[in-house]
Amino acid sequence: MTETPRIALKGVTKRFGAETAVDAISLNIAAGEFCVLVGTSGCGKSTTLRMINRLIEHSDGEIHIDGQPIREIDPQRLRRRIGYAIQSTGLFPHWTVARNIALVPGLLKWPRARTLERVEELMTLLGLAPSEFADKYPAQLSGGQAQRVGVARALAADPEILLMDEPFGALDPITRESLQEELRRLQGRIRKTIVFVTHDMDEALKLADRLVVMRAGRIVQQGSPAELLAAPADEFVASLLGGRDRGLKRAALTPVARLMRPVDARLPMEPAVAPDEDLRLALSVMLWHRVETLAVVDGEGRACGSLHLSDLMGGGI
Amino acid sequence: MVQSPSARPNRVLLVLGLALVAALLGLDLASVAPNRILPGEGVSLWVWLGPGSALVWAFPLLLMALAWRGTPRALHLSRGLVVVALASLPWVLAAFAASRVPDALPQARVTLGAGFWSLLFVLLMIWVELQARLKGATWLLLLPLLSLALALVGGHLESLALMREYASRSGAFHEAVRYHLLLVSAAVGLSLLLAFTLALAMRRFPSLRRGGFALLSLIQTIPSLALFGLLLAPLAWLAARYAWLGELGVQGIGWAPALIALVGYSLLPMTRNSVVALDGVDPRVVEAARGMGMSPGQVFWRVRLPLAAPVILEGIRITTVQAVGLAAVAALIGAGGLGTFIFQGLGQAAMDLVLLGALPILALAVAADGLLSALARLTASQSSREAR
Repeated sequence: MTETPRIALKGVTKRFGAETAVDAISLNIAAGEFCVLVGTSGCGKSTTLRMINRLIEHSDGEIHIDGQPIREIDPQRLRRRIGYAIQSTGLFPHWTVARNIALVPGLLKWPRARTLERVEELMTLLGLAPSEFADKYPAQLSGGQAQRVGVARALAADPEILLMDEPFGALDPITRESLQEELRRLQGRIRKTIVFVTHDMDEALKLADRLVVMRAGRIVQQGSPAELLAAPADEFVASLLGGRDRGLKRAALTPVARLMRPVDARLPMEPAVAPDEDLRLALSVMLWHRVETLAVVDGEGRACGSLHLSDLMGGGI
Repeated sequence: MVQSPSARPNRVLLVLGLALVAALLGLDLASVAPNRILPGEGVSLWVWLGPGSALVWAFPLLLMALAWRGTPRALHLSRGLVVVALASLPWVLAAFAASRVPDALPQARVTLGAGFWSLLFVLLMIWVELQARLKGATWLLLLPLLSLALALVGGHLESLALMREYASRSGAFHEAVRYHLLLVSAAVGLSLLLAFTLALAMRRFPSLRRGGFALLSLIQTIPSLALFGLLLAPLAWLAARYAWLGELGVQGIGWAPALIALVGYSLLPMTRNSVVALDGVDPRVVEAARGMGMSPGQVFWRVRLPLAAPVILEGIRITTVQAVGLAAVAALIGAGGLGTFIFQGLGQAAMDLVLLGALPILALAVAADGLLSALARLTASQSSREAR
């Protein structure tokens, strides 16, 4: 017997009047899985996400959380169980950072001391010094800081499920990348079931355990990023994945450690890459220095292996 | 002297300084009359003080010298001077009354002349000009008000015609102020309630908007006297038809039509501001609130309403100031209030009686405006802190 999926969509359809926004999609998301819905705008990915916490009611089919149909759960209680973070945060501008984060614990009537402790814990977890930020108002934060607060607020009541609707969509590329890294690291520690919507394929590839590509209300293909890159189902998926740029995208998914050979004492310590850096970066370093082999050097500056271009070409990616 | 480019002569202040000189030189400061009937005899500063008036002349000249310098320091000094001048006005009047009004005539009175009003006006203009450049410290204006209050309480201004009029009808005056305030607050409270309900209805049923706003604008365009006239017949009929309405005091004239008219005029600005305020709340914030599991009631009371409050308060401010003025007209249909004195005074050609009605109305309007804008600023800064 297989385990009950955390979230299960069975033939879920959403119609707005005569228009079908989501067309009979089925999807199982396991506990602790990072599932990214990706597609062009208007493909129904955001609608799908919002049906899970009943911000939009589905027209047909069934959505189950831990085996229970969500129609049987009171929408407000359902939403308090599910973290929700959206683009440009939707933070309450008239509340301080601390009060914003304490929103759901407040709705759940947690004791004050427990809420305060939780808020402090989350702010620390997301790199916001409580002493500095707790009493600030959202308008006093940078975009990246505000988004961290948005994520902290979504995590406040320690929900099993986290829904994120293009949370990093309005950020500049550098902030965005660092927040993606951080979310990935965070997920390694907290192991929530995350459903994440984006139209940015690079973001999707970087974050997803499972990628779900949607088009015109249907799921075109789903699988791990590596599976999709290896065998896109059709032209559409291939073009979303970057067309001929795909080789590099795939390289970006593979860490250097995977193709590393033992230490080669003849290699100079420069140029070098770290074992947890990706092969796309390694390739770029090779191109830049016009070399075919690189030293692999760990965080403490010790050589721990070598990387050869021929291994990259040999089908290791 | 070499002047930095930022410190050039302030021409506005120079011109206003000249206006001060002209007012002091050419216009009567006040006039003295033996009683209410006989016309007064105008007295200019020169006639009053003779060569001693040179002391007073020093003031505009000093101000103009500072305006010529134009440095921030000079402007700050000017502001101080203006505040001192404003604060000394009541005492100048007191001194004037003490020296010119004979003790033997208990009905003798001082009527403020064109010179005094020009002085007050020009001083306030100078204040406005200085505030535009210096900002802040608006509380300084409280000092002249405090000085005025002290002079009044000390009984130093009793021989002013205005105060004589007040003394002969102080009971009626206090009653009128109370009634005026009651009428205005009832009208504002009632229209806030109605307008807010209407705004909520308009948000729920958008088709109501066009017709609703058209109707409210229509009410707004009817002249106030015409509206009172229009209400006369139906209200008289209602009161005659339903005895309990008559017992309540509803009549063709009196408070009922006044209140209805005031509410009618208040509805447009109040409804418009409420609708705009509620529409203006960021939909993403509301979406987040719902997504976090807030109930519709919680979303409204904790998110929508606090975020809309500054603009709604702005509507209350506009409406209140407008109602304070309009309630004066309502005196014409026997609704009482401060307007009574204005129309009585006009009838008796007693300008000081008109002032007894008009000045408190002005003061009420300014006070309501100041108080409510301060409140609106406070809530606005609560709801959207500026990024540093």
